[in-house]
Amino acid sequence: MTTQSKPTGFGNPWFQLGISIACVTVYELLLKRGAAETANLSPRWSWTGLSGLASIYVWIAIVFVILSLITWLHVLRYIPLSIAFPISQAVHVLVPLGSWLVLGENIIGLRWIGIALVSLGLAVVAKPVARLEEEL
Amino acid sequence: MKPISLVIVLIALLSAVAGQVFLKKAMESSHGAAGFRSRAVAIPFAAGIGLMTAQFFLNLGLLQRYDLSFIYPFQGLSVIIITFVAAVTLREKLTLQLVAGSILISVGVALVSLT
Repeated sequence: MTTQSKPTGFGNPWFQLGISIACVTVYELLLKRGAAETANLSPRWSWTGLSGLASIYVWIAIVFVILSLITWLHVLRYIPLSIAFPISQAVHVLVPLGSWLVLGENIIGLRWIGIALVSLGLAVVAKPVARLEEEL
Repeated sequence: MKPISLVIVLIALLSAVAGQVFLKKAMESSHGAAGFRSRAVAIPFAAGIGLMTAQFFLNLGLLQRYDLSFIYPFQGLSVIIITFVAAVTLREKLTLQLVAGSILISVGVALVSLT
């Protein structure tokens, strides 16, 4: 399943995957705050997203996305994309929860069911991986 | 959602999928002695970063119009696409459990998006 022996401790790719997920969650929340702050700056070119660069939140978000990229590249060296990518989708649980808790966005009933399904899918994908790791 | 926004969502989605595959190819090749100096690493790495950057700005433009909790889950459709693309282009092993988990994640993401 993996292409070479995995580093342990801080370099452990599963730990790095966790850091990557946390960084993406923070990045998305900051990006939304920055985008909302700059939404009316330049209506003509706003579809490009470039006007968002006027917000400090967007720049901090960029730092987090760079951190997530570095950790993600480390993850890709050791874990197959078809396993790492589905597990990285934990952000689809964390980002809506974060938008609810931090940004005050509304989450209605069906959306909660969606979040539960994503969580179940993550458990289904992660279970055989965890068993395999224990065997190694 | 306007049709043009849907097109931008789809372009962002495809950029994300292709970007991930290129990055994985680059990191697989980086195990060799030449590392990042090798063209086998540098070219897919540059392509991956370029596609991810395009996706970043398209996503930023979408976020200026829609709620984060509405736009972001569309990207979750990339789960099922990447799982199959990785199996075809990177020859990664697909298990029934992996496919089932990916489908559950995608359905969950679609439900979050539709609401």
